[in-house]
Amino acid sequence: MADDYELEEEDFTAQFNVGTFRRILRLVKPHWRWVAGFLFTIAWVSILDAVFTFLSKRIIDEGIIARNASVLSEIIVLYGGLMLLQAVGVFFFIYLAGVLGERVQYDLRKKLFDHLQTLSFSYFSKTPVGWIMSRVTSDSERIAQLVTWGMLDVTWAIVNIITSMVFMARLNWRLSLIVLATIPVLLVVAVYFKTKILAQFRISRKLNSKITGEFNQNITGVRVVKGLGREEANLRAFDHLTGDMRRASYRAAWLSALFLPAVQIISAFAIGAVVLYSGMSANVAGMTVGSLQAFVSYVTFMMWPIQDMARVYSEMQQAIASAERTFSLLDATPEVADGKGARHTPTIRGEIEFDHVDFYYEPDKPVLTDFSLKVKPGETIALVGPTGGGKSTIVNLVCRFYEPKSGSVKIHGQDYRDFTLHSIHSRIGVVLQTPHLFSGTIRENIRYGRLKASDEEVEEAARIAGAHEFITKLESKYKAEVGEGGNRLSVGQKQLISLARAVLANPEVLVMDEATSSVDTVTEALIQKGMDQVMEGRTSFVIAHRLSTIKRADRILVIEGGRIMEQGSHADLLRLGGKYYRLYTQQFRQQRTAQYATPELDFIIA
Amino acid sequence: MSVMAQAAQPAYDYDLKNAVSSNRLAGLWTMATGYHWRYLAATASLAVGASAKTATYLLLRHFVDNVLGKEGALLALILIALAFLGLAVVEGSFTFMSGRLAAYTAEGVAKRLRNYMYDHIQRLTFSYHDRMQTGELIQRSTSDVDAVRRFFADQALGIGRIVLLFVINFVVISRLSMRLALLSVIVIPVVVVTSYIFFKRISRAYEKYQDQEATLSTVLQENLSGVRVVKAFARQAYERDKFEKENAEKYKRGRNLMMSHAFFWPVSDILCGAQMLFGYMMGALMAISGEISVGTYLAYAGLLVWIIFPMRNLGRLIVQASTGMVSYRRVIDVISQDREPLDEGICPHGPVKGDIDFRFVAFGYDPTQPVLNNINLSVAAGQSVALLGSTGSGKTTLVNLLPRFYEYTDGSIKLDGVELSDYSRVYLRSQIGIVEQEPFLFAKSIKENIRLGVDRPVTDEEVITAAKAAAIHDTIMTFPDGYETLVGEKGVTLSGGQKQRVAIARTLLKNPRILILDDSTSSVDTETEAEIRAALDRLMEGRTTFIIAHRVQSLMNADQIVVLDSGKIIQHGDHETLLAQEGLYRQIYDLQARVEEELQQELAVTA
Repeated sequence: MADDYELEEEDFTAQFNVGTFRRILRLVKPHWRWVAGFLFTIAWVSILDAVFTFLSKRIIDEGIIARNASVLSEIIVLYGGLMLLQAVGVFFFIYLAGVLGERVQYDLRKKLFDHLQTLSFSYFSKTPVGWIMSRVTSDSERIAQLVTWGMLDVTWAIVNIITSMVFMARLNWRLSLIVLATIPVLLVVAVYFKTKILAQFRISRKLNSKITGEFNQNITGVRVVKGLGREEANLRAFDHLTGDMRRASYRAAWLSALFLPAVQIISAFAIGAVVLYSGMSANVAGMTVGSLQAFVSYVTFMMWPIQDMARVYSEMQQAIASAERTFSLLDATPEVADGKGARHTPTIRGEIEFDHVDFYYEPDKPVLTDFSLKVKPGETIALVGPTGGGKSTIVNLVCRFYEPKSGSVKIHGQDYRDFTLHSIHSRIGVVLQTPHLFSGTIRENIRYGRLKASDEEVEEAARIAGAHEFITKLESKYKAEVGEGGNRLSVGQKQLISLARAVLANPEVLVMDEATSSVDTVTEALIQKGMDQVMEGRTSFVIAHRLSTIKRADRILVIEGGRIMEQGSHADLLRLGGKYYRLYTQQFRQQRTAQYATPELDFIIA
Repeated sequence: MSVMAQAAQPAYDYDLKNAVSSNRLAGLWTMATGYHWRYLAATASLAVGASAKTATYLLLRHFVDNVLGKEGALLALILIALAFLGLAVVEGSFTFMSGRLAAYTAEGVAKRLRNYMYDHIQRLTFSYHDRMQTGELIQRSTSDVDAVRRFFADQALGIGRIVLLFVINFVVISRLSMRLALLSVIVIPVVVVTSYIFFKRISRAYEKYQDQEATLSTVLQENLSGVRVVKAFARQAYERDKFEKENAEKYKRGRNLMMSHAFFWPVSDILCGAQMLFGYMMGALMAISGEISVGTYLAYAGLLVWIIFPMRNLGRLIVQASTGMVSYRRVIDVISQDREPLDEGICPHGPVKGDIDFRFVAFGYDPTQPVLNNINLSVAAGQSVALLGSTGSGKTTLVNLLPRFYEYTDGSIKLDGVELSDYSRVYLRSQIGIVEQEPFLFAKSIKENIRLGVDRPVTDEEVITAAKAAAIHDTIMTFPDGYETLVGEKGVTLSGGQKQRVAIARTLLKNPRILILDDSTSSVDTETEAEIRAALDRLMEGRTTFIIAHRVQSLMNADQIVVLDSGKIIQHGDHETLLAQEGLYRQIYDLQARVEEELQQELAVTA
């Protein structure tokens, strides 16, 4: 899932934006000593490399040609000493840049995650989870790479080229001019190649994810493939994909294989010119054998960073694009937040009132218009009606996941925006139709309702919710792992645990979206019992699917098109013989049949 | 039939069953059949390239010793400059050739493997698919295949390159001076062993780092998808702590990884550097004493670097190559499984009639636990049979025997008087249509999904006719792209009922003689239910039909009703017969009346 988003965004590389860049730098500001440290050590390592070449020259000129063994040993000792110092430098730049990279990633992820916790519901409903995940994982990595290895590469390249040029100029400035002339050619070649190679790589990466998708589809749908006899046709279609893949990867591979030799041949021209010139002037211009050797080394030396620049540049562009997306997440502001002077309230018990509320998710599509409703403390409100009618919106507003666009929601006569979000949320219990559990044990999941609860209290809550029985039948009981998203448990079991979680939270107001399907009759009865327990004495809003809930509710609201079409008790509404009546009789048939259905009678009667 | 007429070329050029071998290297080599010469040529090019590099240093020696500083050697000088250039070109072009040939081999083998795996997997038996997890199979077909590709593209050749560089340069140095040659390789075993141990450790540390990345992603993903719960319980602080814990752990593991790198590289630098410096010193001393020429020293100093430093990478390549070989194992495990022989058996020209006769049929996925036992059932062409029973009673298994998804283990099934197992699977499956409860649609357009069942050109009119008969045309027209609308993640999400009707249209177009239906449509509103029912009735017309029944209506209209329990037929007959018997069927039938009665009572009480 996350991969898809990355793929789509890879094409997009931002221009070098100074503002973004500055903001990226601000991320490492707290660690500037580390940055200074690795920049210094990489420069140190790079300069020493140039010095070594110079020492090799001295070995030849002052040692071998001068036939002086004592100078030779001096040089060797110096060389060896510097080598140890360089090794220390290598240790530090890897350590500093590497660990800093991890640190910056850590900081960014933390920052992003913390910010995400403050964002409102509206943000999550319009932003895909995969998109956010890519920001927190791969983008933060790219940004960290930029401020560590990216900066390191650039520094290394610059120092390398400058020191090489300086040393070369010292040896022979005319020759160094020849070398200088080849640099632009090299740069052009490097950029040309890298752009082509990167383009091919991008194609092959896209194809690769398509191939994975094809595999996935063909394996999960193998029954249909076999049933329809699609084998040959599928293989033919797949062959196109792998054929394209082969072409793109092969092209990328041989272009890469061509790149290095091309660079080498260009530098060979430079070296050839050096040899020719120096051969003619070896005595005249004072070029010694050692100098000649050193010169050739410096030329090769300089080629490394130049051929690498194109890669570094494209990575930087990508990192900046990553940063822009990441910053857009950090800049998102919560729509629902504590207003100025919002105060803590010790309780939200009391009358809840919708006072002429207007609400919409998109401005041209009103969901609620001039909606008013008063709910007495302890009352159970059942909301019924078709999907999209506004039931979920009403409970979302009660929970203050969203706030009214106009009008207000009042608790005990006071606009709930006067209270802090935390004081409202911590007193509301929510049980969802598709229960959401977190990886971890059953106990941890129930304790989510009240973090300080003792083991006994957790078990008590499970008993009330009717979950205790199945839990104790599990091998590791309350310590059983629920798996990712609770996938080791059945939907019914997850529902019972989420009920227990709500029981433990001991909320003042309860919001429930009843589970409809995929639950066997025994579990359904258990859930029902649990729910009744939880609702006792609490103001409850239930998006109702079950007859028993509907019947027992103090008030039933039939919501359609954002309006209350019918309201009243079960008996009132049946007498009315309207929408509710039709709904109820239909459900009665279905549910009663399901109720009678034993495993042998596993079917529905139409 | 048209399906059989096209004996399509297989899209892979070599049967990889031959590459099943207990020797992993031999198996990998067999996988590359057809590319052997190219791959050997890649290695040979590598050797030529490496030799050209070595020759450059020998030319340098000649230049310094015999040409440099000599009066009037202009011609020789120009020749030498040209020779340098020539050697660079030779080195460059052969290095390129080797890279190109290796890439050709690797990509060719990868494509062959991908196609083979794809085809192989879709032809493996159902029992194999039941056993294997989807994710596992996908991983073997993608990342393991890629590891094999890298083995050919990078690792095998990279190891070859290091070995060649070493051998060629060592031989040349030993020709310059045996003593120098021996003194230059003292540290090499240490370097190779250190790097091997190091990279082995690194790959483990990296795995742990990746595992933590996965854990962190899970926490994040659960937080995002459970945002309602987090907010509703106001657990932001708790979530922050949870994330912080995993985040800090990832930082710690990353830091450890970096620490290992920070130690290895300078240590290996010092090892290699000391060896190099030692060589320089010995060479220089020999040059001072006149044992070797200045040119020889220069050549030696240049070649020395090429036998020492590449050795640092040998350990890495060996570690990576061994993962490539593990991947070979995992891929070959799948390849060594036997396929369903699709074409084996008779394949009549016309369609079947559809008379089916079960005699004492038994089946078990596991021979000791029979799922079906002693099944006797005669169905005349065009008849419909409703199968009734609880989950696990064997009704799905029974219909799975017809397209030979599984082979019955005992008794006999005759289709038009011929033993079912004598027909080829391809033929049978072209004669049978299946509409499942929640049909699987492919991530293609709706049109393509409807056309999927027939392997001949289909006009748009035919597709529309089928869609209309399946009562899905109007729904399709409400989508912005109509029949071109993509199904699935990147397109529209169809409801269960809509998917089912697309599957009905697909089956109508396929026009099979035998039909297998799963008629439960859970949670669709009454209106669509009626539409689906009508569509199903049209589909069943004139075909031998097996219905896994969940509805009284299906039961009442069926020519035969079979009630299954624990793999046995416990009741069998038509509606009237079964209604007259004590048993499950009557219970179900009575239920409807009872519910209606109770509803009236309920309403009366409330009112």
